[in-house]
Amino acid sequence: MTTDTNTDTDTVESVDPGLGRVSRLRGAVFRYVTFVASLVGVASLGVLLAYVFWDALGMDSAQPGWYAGFFLLVVAPFVGFVLRARTDAVAGEVALELFATVAGGIQGGFALVVVLDVIAGVDVWLSYFLTTIGPAVAVYLYGRLNRAASWTGLGILATGLLGPVAGTLLIGRIDVVVSGVGAPGIYLLTVTLPAALGVGLLVDRNEDLGDGRWATLALFALGVAGVLAADAVPGVSRSVWQLFVASFAAPTGYVVARNLADQERWSGLAGPGALVVGAGVLLLVDGPLGLVGPSPWFDWQFLTSPPSLTDPSTAGVYAPIVGSVFVIVLVAVFTLFLGVGAALYLEEYAGSSGLRGAVARLVRINISNLAGVPSVVYGLLGLAVFARLIGTGIGTVLTAALTLSLLILPIVIISAREAIAAVPDSQRRASYGMGATRWQTVRNVVLPRSLPGIMTGTILALGRAIGETAPLLMIGVPAFRRDEPTGLFTRTGALPRQVFTWADNPNPEFQYGVLAAGVVTLLVVLLTMNSIAILIRNKYERGDV
Amino acid sequence: MNDARGEMDLSGDRGFQDVRESVYHVVLLACAVVSVLTTIGIVYSLAAPSVAFFAEVSAAEFFTATEFNVNIQPITFGVLPLAFGTIIVTVGAAAVALPLGLLTAIYLSEYADSRTRAVLKPMLEVLAGIPTVVYGYFALVYVTPFLDGVLPVELNTFNVLSASLVMGVMIVPMVSSISEDSMSAVPDTLRQGAYGLGATKFKVSTRVVVPAAVSGIASSYILAISRAVGETMIVVVAAGNLPNFPSGPGDVLPKFFEQTQTMTAAMVEVLTSEIGGGTVAYRSVFAIGLTLFGMTFALNLVSDFVAERYREEYD
Repeated sequence: MTTDTNTDTDTVESVDPGLGRVSRLRGAVFRYVTFVASLVGVASLGVLLAYVFWDALGMDSAQPGWYAGFFLLVVAPFVGFVLRARTDAVAGEVALELFATVAGGIQGGFALVVVLDVIAGVDVWLSYFLTTIGPAVAVYLYGRLNRAASWTGLGILATGLLGPVAGTLLIGRIDVVVSGVGAPGIYLLTVTLPAALGVGLLVDRNEDLGDGRWATLALFALGVAGVLAADAVPGVSRSVWQLFVASFAAPTGYVVARNLADQERWSGLAGPGALVVGAGVLLLVDGPLGLVGPSPWFDWQFLTSPPSLTDPSTAGVYAPIVGSVFVIVLVAVFTLFLGVGAALYLEEYAGSSGLRGAVARLVRINISNLAGVPSVVYGLLGLAVFARLIGTGIGTVLTAALTLSLLILPIVIISAREAIAAVPDSQRRASYGMGATRWQTVRNVVLPRSLPGIMTGTILALGRAIGETAPLLMIGVPAFRRDEPTGLFTRTGALPRQVFTWADNPNPEFQYGVLAAGVVTLLVVLLTMNSIAILIRNKYERGDV
Repeated sequence: MNDARGEMDLSGDRGFQDVRESVYHVVLLACAVVSVLTTIGIVYSLAAPSVAFFAEVSAAEFFTATEFNVNIQPITFGVLPLAFGTIIVTVGAAAVALPLGLLTAIYLSEYADSRTRAVLKPMLEVLAGIPTVVYGYFALVYVTPFLDGVLPVELNTFNVLSASLVMGVMIVPMVSSISEDSMSAVPDTLRQGAYGLGATKFKVSTRVVVPAAVSGIASSYILAISRAVGETMIVVVAAGNLPNFPSGPGDVLPKFFEQTQTMTAAMVEVLTSEIGGGTVAYRSVFAIGLTLFGMTFALNLVSDFVAERYREEYD
């Protein structure tokens, strides 16, 4: 052990009681200074966030009476719940779970609508569902039931490679089916029904809950019957309704039901419940009582209108959001596949000596160096290699997706490697001992154990990709686009790019209104993704998953 | 795990299994190779246009001229004013982030109880997760007007000060998390030894833990500086787009209150303006990018070297 530390002088000091007191004061001051220093960053960010939310929600225009109601009905219950959650860990956990499910469900529904209905279209979705997604899931489920079938892994891989080819050929040949069943019917059968079946399975596996068949039936009925309700709401088509039943109603219903079934977790439902009730009461009474509420910039109109450079009152972020969702979905697919593959190779396959060891060492050093390359340089890579050399086009969806994928790939690989390395070696040895091959060990032991950690790291990295702006500027993503992208090779807007465009406009209605709302949109998306990641991590650390 | 599999493996078709194993091996290896291809792609995409650029503009002009001007005659490509902008923004950010990050790390590692740590650490991670364009917006719309009202000096709408303050806040978690890791790695026996000799907690923290973790702290400092050098959106949004080179050493401090243009901001300005591909100005972006890449790469290497070379081993 090393002992060359300068502690010998202190003994002299503490012999003298007077000096001891001085040291105690100095120690207390130092402790206080370090505490304050660790709060400076968080506190200043908190103030800035409060400002931007205040501006984006247009709180300036509300009357004092409305504030009184707001504090009484919304803020007070929320603060009370936070104080309670400090001592009641379960309450905080349930609240986080609910928040992540609700916010994630809404945003997942938005992403589904964008990808399936706006960009792909129902005929394209059905073709790929019939040729790729459906068969792959069927083969996977067969493999789960009949565990002796060793070909299922390769079967899924082959489906993933051949299915898209067949699907592309099928597009246009199934118009009869599409027009016969109708788009909402197709979504009901291909999205809502599988989601309902999935929830039914989860309910069945949970001992506290009843028969899963009822859950499936109820969700399916909600998909069918809710169509009538959806017709009454402007802006919500029957197809949108189906997709939201699958991504929002199904998981939220399951989480609420599971927490309701366990009395110990009721305290956690009280907080979110009080918030919803309080906000509802406030909405009901503010009209009759004549309370003027805030006039938010961040509202439904903002989320569903195309952007504008001149008129703050009609400006929105619809097209940029669609572009961002499209890009991020592609990034998620690319990085999950490449990142997990590379991490598995480095942790499970790479040798430690000879040529293979040298290759693995080179790749490892390379990845840690890539993580430190500025994002703007990745933009130049995207411009020179993808947009010009390979020819995916300036500012197109595909160029943006490829560039951002390479940008976050090192982060995904590093976090996936940590998750894979955390799987105990004894489990691998047990698997080998039973005669499993390397890939069987990876698929049946390593991947299931490390998946939550991999998901956490990937979601956090995707959050980073959503907010990246500099690479988008380099690859020529247009400053302003009113139309949403329609394919991989169309030029697209993106949410952070649009925020940057508005930042140039000195008009205060833009700076403190539209721009603030755009920033809030970006922050809400990030907040949701981070809370989902934290939720997965918490469950994983407790061993629930 | 299940009997069916064990049986299958002993009696199954080895030929098929071998094929399957090697297919997966190759697929996974291909995934790992993508990262090497990325590096090759970066070097290629920076080097090829840079070579063409330096054929037209001499390296001497690029590295010594004190003006960067691609639009108005006489066109000059001096990287010095841009490098100066990058340096003062980085110095400002470091002045905020290095002390705050170190003190945060000391608090987290030595003083905070586990519950405070469980709350504070995720909150610090949030600081690093906010998109930089949002930080730029904060600096431009909220911090600059605030500082303009508080400070006795005339502050430009776009200025170095608010951009670097906000950037400093952003990189605090980078300093604190790496520093805290290396402080936590200092074995408790060292602390106990010092307490046994009668040292106070303050002395243990500052004279034992910090010196023992100095390699990690230094490496975190260098990484944070590298991050600040490569940062783009904060400076593009909040620090302006005018290269600003000081006339002498006494002229440096006022530059904090004026606008500037960093290397990253110049790259953005040239590429988002109406300058087409194939021009000298277009290629200058890649030359600046190469310089930037060289700077950050060198900083990262030094950081790795410091972490390895000066690490205290306690086993």
